[in-house]
Amino acid sequence: MSDFLQYLVNGLTIGSFLALIALGYSMVYGVLRLINFAHGDVFMVGSFAGLGVLTALSMSGPWLAFAAFAAVFAGALVSGVLGVGIMRAAYAPLLRAPKISLLIAAIGVSLALEETVKLLTRAGFRSYPDVLPDAMLFSGAVRVSYSQVALIGLSALLMVGLWAFVTRTVRGTAMRALAMDPDAARLMGIDAERLTMITFFIGSVLAGAAGVMYGMYYTQINFAVGFLVGLRAFTAAVLGGVGNLVGAAVAGLLIGLVQSFAAGYLSSRWADVIIFGVLIAALMVRPHGLFGERIAERV
Amino acid sequence: MTARLRWDPRAGWVVLVLGAAVMGQWLENYALTVGATILIYGILGLGINVVVGYAGLLDLGFAAFYAIGAYTSALLVLNAGWGFWATLPVAIVVAAAAGAVIGYPTLRLRSDYLAIVTLGFGEITRITATNLRITGGPNGLTGVPPVRVGDYELVTSRDFFYLALAFFALVLALSLLIRRSRVAYAWRAIRQDEDAAEAVGVRTVRAKLLAYVVAAGIGSIAGPLSAAQLGTVDPSNFTFLTSLFILVIVVIGGMGSLAGAVLGALIVVGLPEVLRSAQEYRNLAFALLLVVTVLVRPRGLWPARPRPVDLGRGAEETPPEHERSRRERREHREEPGQKRGALLRVDGITRRFGGVTAVEDFDLALEAGEIVSLIGPNGAGKTTTFNCMTGIVTPTRGRVLLAGKSLTGTSPHGVVEAGMARTFQGIRLFDEMTVAENVLLGGFARHRSLIGPWGAGLVCGAGRADLAVVRWCLDFVGLRASADQTAGALSYGERRRVEIARALASGPSVVLLDEPAAGASPVEKKSLMDLIGRIGTLGIAVVLIEHDMALVMSVSDRVIVLDYGRTIAAGPPAEVQRDPQVIEAYLGAPEDDPGPSPVADEARA
Repeated sequence: MSDFLQYLVNGLTIGSFLALIALGYSMVYGVLRLINFAHGDVFMVGSFAGLGVLTALSMSGPWLAFAAFAAVFAGALVSGVLGVGIMRAAYAPLLRAPKISLLIAAIGVSLALEETVKLLTRAGFRSYPDVLPDAMLFSGAVRVSYSQVALIGLSALLMVGLWAFVTRTVRGTAMRALAMDPDAARLMGIDAERLTMITFFIGSVLAGAAGVMYGMYYTQINFAVGFLVGLRAFTAAVLGGVGNLVGAAVAGLLIGLVQSFAAGYLSSRWADVIIFGVLIAALMVRPHGLFGERIAERV
Repeated sequence: MTARLRWDPRAGWVVLVLGAAVMGQWLENYALTVGATILIYGILGLGINVVVGYAGLLDLGFAAFYAIGAYTSALLVLNAGWGFWATLPVAIVVAAAAGAVIGYPTLRLRSDYLAIVTLGFGEITRITATNLRITGGPNGLTGVPPVRVGDYELVTSRDFFYLALAFFALVLALSLLIRRSRVAYAWRAIRQDEDAAEAVGVRTVRAKLLAYVVAAGIGSIAGPLSAAQLGTVDPSNFTFLTSLFILVIVVIGGMGSLAGAVLGALIVVGLPEVLRSAQEYRNLAFALLLVVTVLVRPRGLWPARPRPVDLGRGAEETPPEHERSRRERREHREEPGQKRGALLRVDGITRRFGGVTAVEDFDLALEAGEIVSLIGPNGAGKTTTFNCMTGIVTPTRGRVLLAGKSLTGTSPHGVVEAGMARTFQGIRLFDEMTVAENVLLGGFARHRSLIGPWGAGLVCGAGRADLAVVRWCLDFVGLRASADQTAGALSYGERRRVEIARALASGPSVVLLDEPAAGASPVEKKSLMDLIGRIGTLGIAVVLIEHDMALVMSVSDRVIVLDYGRTIAAGPPAEVQRDPQVIEAYLGAPEDDPGPSPVADEARA
């Protein structure tokens, strides 16, 4: 039983990172109908940016919390700018091209980012400084650290913020309108190009923040984390029904739990097999994801 | 007439293979090894071209079939002592079966969902191979012996290069055969418009499944070859990155283009080798090149061009008739002692969407050669009625009988096969194909099988009977001269006529035309009116949805008026025009709006 609870807590922590990244996949899919393959690498770059800030600040004691927040902020910002840059340079010229060209461009950008970081880091691992306090909220049979609670809390806060933006602001409403019917949205005076950039920015900011939090939690990162974590987050986005934000968040948590339980009860080597197995099984029953709406096509 | 020698593009392939064979004589070992790898990736490219290039089903896990081929062959060689040649068919069958397994759950999925499922399948395959003991775990399998031909062992790089070249040539020949087969047309139709493909009689579900199976089978051949070349099977050769490279082959080469696939393989394998001196930077350079290529040439370096169908000369006298419908109609007529029913009977069709009743109790009885129009304000349920009749939408209640045979619950392809063809409100042609190819696809429903040749022709290419049908249909709508143009390049009115020709090519006994005159010029409307009349004189029954009253009133034998899903009037045109309920439906109640009736006006004009 205590094992179960422990896996549950760990799963929720991983899941909250995955949820943040999955949201970016889902948002971009909503406005461009593109699986943004480079998104995982935007996460990875954000993680390295946060590491850079932490190393530069090299603070200690009570300032540590400040440094941690500064790192999250910096990582988020770098990722946000990077995301918009990628959109403008590689995707914008291809919006009218066949869908697959856009996808290949995304794959190319993803590879380019990975290779660049691989060259810069000489393909090695980099260690995050010990930022998170080791203090335990519970340290009995189930161990829950304050930092786990803080990370889950921060992720939840970001998600609530996104939810408020999407449902309570004019821009957010415009974004939903753009996702539902791009042509109608344009006719209503929505600046689709600008809004697409905002979407990329927000999605990438969430990924960057998740990247820094991931680094603090696991303390080791390399050029390939974007691919590995991105793949799981992408799976979550699809499982939730791409384009559906609540679905992405819930499925992100779910995939985190699946990963944690699979690794705990079976073996971490089989975790991805279980994750993809769950996805395929779920899509067989619900072809449009767990929360996806069926999009009827007019004949 | 002067006989001209024409360059057959297929001769280029012979030159290529022979050229490679000659080159093999003086290339050194390193170049031969790279060359053999290019050929192996060429095979993978030709395989994925089927599923991605033709059928348009995104596959991000193609390396799985490569891996399955390699592991199956190597395991049989190492553990069961089989020879390379004996393992080949087994490897192909196992991979094809895996193709069916992965294809099956994805058939209902949209393309983006498909991408992740194929990706997941690729990863599951690789991780499983990495974790199982029988597959050698992370180290893979080692000590795979070289291939033997008779008593001769193919040990040198040169020997292996020729082996790979032979396999490549075989796969290439197979691909050339597939390219002109019925199923390749079906795949291309599905890629361009799945609903339209179904409407011309393509069994889309089966065709898509077949695409996976064929692609997996072809791709798997690369596995045993690679195992024999390297002497090992290493799971790290089958990562997601490998799948991406295989996909990139067709995308930068040009989707659906055999030359593109070969060129793509040359670039994907060859370029990193050229960049070898800059070892560290070569992947980065490759990634950037990929982005640039896609930005500069989104359709690939060597895109597939629509090929003209050789229609031959001469006009056809006899209109096409559907084998099955002709037989059934005859049997139907000759039933002794029974009163003959209508050719098409629609009994009380009702369709509800949630709380909205789109069509309610729609009845129709149609004789051969009759022209009946369905009119009504927008949203009256006209197109829904067509959709119910053609199997796109299942009616909530009611039934459809064609020549006494029930069509209720039949899939769209079944409906065309039974002899009822349709056109769409928003024209749905296969825009990247030529006009002749569109019409050729229209004849798809005349044959039941998906695999195999068109008609009784050769293994590939359209049979004589099919070409005759295309000729006749194009002459009938007056578009013979545009046969080799791509459908997307035609004018609006011409596209409408191509769609009608495509519907006629199935040899239907009933055609349903959904707003054929929408957007047509007055001149085009006139010729369309004539065209519809001529369809009727062929003995084909026509149901027409149309807003142009002049056209409706002049060509129709009967008119049925729908409003809010209900039939409010039916009868000869003159009678319907005077019906007060019809006038009200179009104009509102007379006391609200005492204006002149355009229905009556237009009919007078």
